[in-house]
Amino acid sequence: MSSLIQAIVSGLVTGSIYALMTVGLTLIYGTLRTLNMAHGALLMIGGYVAWLGLQLAGIPPAAGLLLAMGATFLIGMAIERVSVRPLIGKPGFDFEMTAFISTFAVTVVLQNAALLVFGARNKALPPLVGGRLELVAGVSVTRHSVLMAIVALALLAGLQAFLTRTRYGLAIRAVAQQLDAARLMGVPADRVYSLTMGVASALAGIAGVLLASVFFVSPNSGDLPLLKGLIVAIFGGLGSVRGTVLAAFLIGLLEALVSLYLGVKWSLPVLFLFIMAVLLVRPSGLLGKPEEARL
Amino acid sequence: MSAAVDIPRLLGWRRPAPWALAALLAVLAALPLVWRNQYVIELAITTLIWATLNQSWNLQLGVGGVWNFAQLAIFAVGGYAAAILTLRAGLDPWLSLPVGGLAAAGVAVLIGIPTLRLRGIYAALLTFSFGEVIRLLVISDESGLTGGTFGLSGVPGLGFERLDPVAAQRAYYWAALALTVLTAVGVAAFIRSPLGLALTALRDAPGYAAARGVSPLRMQVVTFAWSAFIAGVAGAFYAQYFHVISPSVMGLAPMSLFVAMLVVGGLGTFSGPLVGTVLIMVVGEWLRDTEQLRLVIVGAILLTVVVLAPRGLVPAAAAGWRRASRWLAEEPDASEAPGERAGVGAGSDPEGG
Repeated sequence: MSSLIQAIVSGLVTGSIYALMTVGLTLIYGTLRTLNMAHGALLMIGGYVAWLGLQLAGIPPAAGLLLAMGATFLIGMAIERVSVRPLIGKPGFDFEMTAFISTFAVTVVLQNAALLVFGARNKALPPLVGGRLELVAGVSVTRHSVLMAIVALALLAGLQAFLTRTRYGLAIRAVAQQLDAARLMGVPADRVYSLTMGVASALAGIAGVLLASVFFVSPNSGDLPLLKGLIVAIFGGLGSVRGTVLAAFLIGLLEALVSLYLGVKWSLPVLFLFIMAVLLVRPSGLLGKPEEARL
Repeated sequence: MSAAVDIPRLLGWRRPAPWALAALLAVLAALPLVWRNQYVIELAITTLIWATLNQSWNLQLGVGGVWNFAQLAIFAVGGYAAAILTLRAGLDPWLSLPVGGLAAAGVAVLIGIPTLRLRGIYAALLTFSFGEVIRLLVISDESGLTGGTFGLSGVPGLGFERLDPVAAQRAYYWAALALTVLTAVGVAAFIRSPLGLALTALRDAPGYAAARGVSPLRMQVVTFAWSAFIAGVAGAFYAQYFHVISPSVMGLAPMSLFVAMLVVGGLGTFSGPLVGTVLIMVVGEWLRDTEQLRLVIVGAILLTVVVLAPRGLVPAAAAGWRRASRWLAEEPDASEAPGERAGVGAGSDPEGG
């Protein structure tokens, strides 16, 4: 029984971090119609920034969070400028596929540049706080994971407030819902694209720092989060923030239960089989809108 | 300018002069006799195998506009089928090539039918997930059938091993060249057939094509099977030539290389994948000493080409050549007629998105 509770607790913790790293993917897809394959690389960069801050200036990981957030915000905007902006509005090719490939190219460049600069060896980042917390008899979690879940949930709440209460957030949602109408109302779409990429990337950067203390930072450390983020985003419905958060927790729980009953090595194959089933039964995901242009 | 509709040209295939093709083939066939460098020939064989794989992938990704990202897994299925059957069941190595192709085609039809329901990103994710499931199952396989992470080694080869090493390598080179040329002929025939026209129609205007009686289901299954058959044969050849097949041929890292080859050359054109494969292989060799810098530069090339010439270098060069020759002929630089577009872009739908 306690192992089941343990699995559920760890599933909830994983779910909150999945929500944090996927919400950016779905936000970008909603406004830019781009499946941003560079999202994983931004997690990796966030981890490296915090690690560098600690190594070079002795900045503790908690402050490194802010550092990584700022750095990935700027890098995300730069990625949009370089790989997506030049494609917008050009005729003669499929925008979605081309942007998918161009962001993929960005990932190839960033990952191998990281390999060149930092080497393949894993870099360890100390947890934000040490120690474990005993919840019930026999069930304990590290304080770091509790803090991780709290940070993730706080950021998601902050994002929700940003999207519904501020003019910039409203601009993002307006562009996502009706690009032409938003333009007619005077929303500068180009700046909204930049802002969306910046915000989404900053969230990815923070997730990268949080994950860096659990796993390690390495040039490929963004691959697995990207794959899982894609699964969560599809399950939740691309473009739907609420669906993504719900899906993140469901996937986190599913993964924890699979690890408990079948073993860790089955968690990824089961997730992939699960998402294949989802795509066949309900391609628009939990809360996504059905696609208009499907044959 | 000819007024007749020239389908190959419409598909981005400028009908080349027969003598130029023959000369190119003769040069390629004579390569191992002229350039007596084992390393270069080994590299050329690898290039030919990748060119075959890329041609098959282009059939779906470019000509068909179906976002299939399971092609590397399908390639591996062909390789594994050939390796397992020659090692465990004593199948003739030559026979293992078509058998690998058939196994790959079977698997591809399995994934092709459900993919039909999906479009764009969703199809990409379904196929990519399928490929990842295959990769992860192979890696975690402990029964010894596929050899797990390390793969299967000791695949016997096509029988050229009896010859001395230099002659064996030449034989493999000519076999690989024959495979690539046969594939090119097969792909060209497919593109130029009514089947290919129907496929392009489905890509560019799905609703209209379906209304005109082109069956999306049948077309998709035929394309998946045909493209996978080629990839499977290439996979089987890979296993026989390198005597090994392992899960490292699948996954994101190798995919970045093949995507770069396809996109840099020009998706959806006949010669694009061939040009792109050679180009990326040459660049890769040129930067051989620095593995990481090599991939940084390949990524940068891919990004630059995608952003500046999203349809790839071959269509861009063709457009430049046309503009130059028109300028030479002192024709007014009128806007291009739609039929004169060199490369039909990869699945463009100007209204959608």
